[in-house]
Amino acid sequence: MASESESAAAAQASSFMENLMNSRNRDLSLFLPFILAFTNNSISSASVQDSSNPDQETGESTTPSEFSDRIILVNPLTQGMVVIESRSSSSFDSLLSELMSKEGQPPASKASIEALPSVEICEEGQKGECAICLDEWEIGGVVKEMPCKHRFHGDCVEKWLKIHGSCPICRYKMPEEDGDLNNKSENRGRRREIWMSFSVGNDRRRSAENHNNQTVSANSSSENEHDHAPEA
Amino acid sequence: MVDLARVQKELHECNRDVQVSGINVTLKGDSLTHLIGTIPGPIGTPYEGGTFKIDITLTDGYPFEPPKMKFATKVWHPNISSQSGAICLDILKDQWSPALTLKTALLSIQALLSAPEPDDPQDAVVAQQYLRDHQTFVGTARYWTETFAKTSTLAADEKIQKLVEMGFPEAQVRSTLEATGWDENMALEKLLSS
Ligand SMILES: [Zn+2]
Ligand SMILES: [Zn+2]
Repeated sequence: MASESESAAAAQASSFMENLMNSRNRDLSLFLPFILAFTNNSISSASVQDSSNPDQETGESTTPSEFSDRIILVNPLTQGMVVIESRSSSSFDSLLSELMSKEGQPPASKASIEALPSVEICEEGQKGECAICLDEWEIGGVVKEMPCKHRFHGDCVEKWLKIHGSCPICRYKMPEEDGDLNNKSENRGRRREIWMSFSVGNDRRRSAENHNNQTVSANSSSENEHDHAPEA
Repeated sequence: MVDLARVQKELHECNRDVQVSGINVTLKGDSLTHLIGTIPGPIGTPYEGGTFKIDITLTDGYPFEPPKMKFATKVWHPNISSQSGAICLDILKDQWSPALTLKTALLSIQALLSAPEPDDPQDAVVAQQYLRDHQTFVGTARYWTETFAKTSTLAADEKIQKLVEMGFPEAQVRSTLEATGWDENMALEKLLSS
């Protein structure tokens, strides 16, 4: 359980980093070498936090429904630190999902892929090609048509939609699988504390991948290197 | 498994209109998964006159995964690492679509040369300079273009001279050579047909 959640959190952290790095959002662009921490503390695991975070957690344990979510940005050169804190999970989640959406469209739902109508290429006038494999349409061939009316070979478009649920040509968004929401709420119950550092410029990608090894204790409250599942 | 049939079609397509686009893709070795793209530096930018080589590696997932591209020619640009040549461009990452091709990706990189995005930098040092001391940035970028992106100056001069000796005006020879990625045969063809 612990190792599973660790790797899940690590994956999440690296995609979070990826998103930050890829983000075209001015406010989230990071110029300087920052250490980034992202915490999502739930009160159900207050006992775990107490050892590492005594100042923060006392006085909060009476309201188990409340979450204290934080993103901490630390600049190791100046020791400057910015804490973005949110009392309400919803606004934090919307910030997070905004970040996550930068990862590209999630896969389309199985049902929506299966529901794509098949159309036959019948007329001479329908010259063109499948934009995925670049093969030209064959008269009499059967292809799949997306809601945006763009057509692709069934195999080609299904393979793509299972990776990203958007039209390759116009980025029309296909319905997502609902399952993601359940995963999110499962995550709420446990604590994540992820510290990362990354260097400037050329090796950002690599340092993001190595963030587990590079965990930096920037202040006294950051002794936990990995996240913890609830003790329960 | 890389869709080799598609890659072959792409190469054919791209090299058919190299004279128009100036974008060229060639094999690096004998495998279709390692390629070299060349893009002419956009006119009116500090990269003008340079020919930039892009190292292309196709992963097994191509075209469902983006091609890996990085500059093999050193370049001074906020969204390109001055050390490694790594490129910060969304369509090479999460915004990739299988309807994009090597050519359209290279065109996007060319567009990035024209329109840097210093707020989303790959090279923080360059980005800072771009924002704070633009004049120095332009100077450095131009110097790097001169130093690294002009096909080994001697060879380039030789090519120009050869074509000038055939009776073409030097300015035209130079621009044609640039547009054809310094392929003298292609440039000659173009000069003869113009
Ligand atoms: Zn196809
Ligand atoms: Zn479409």
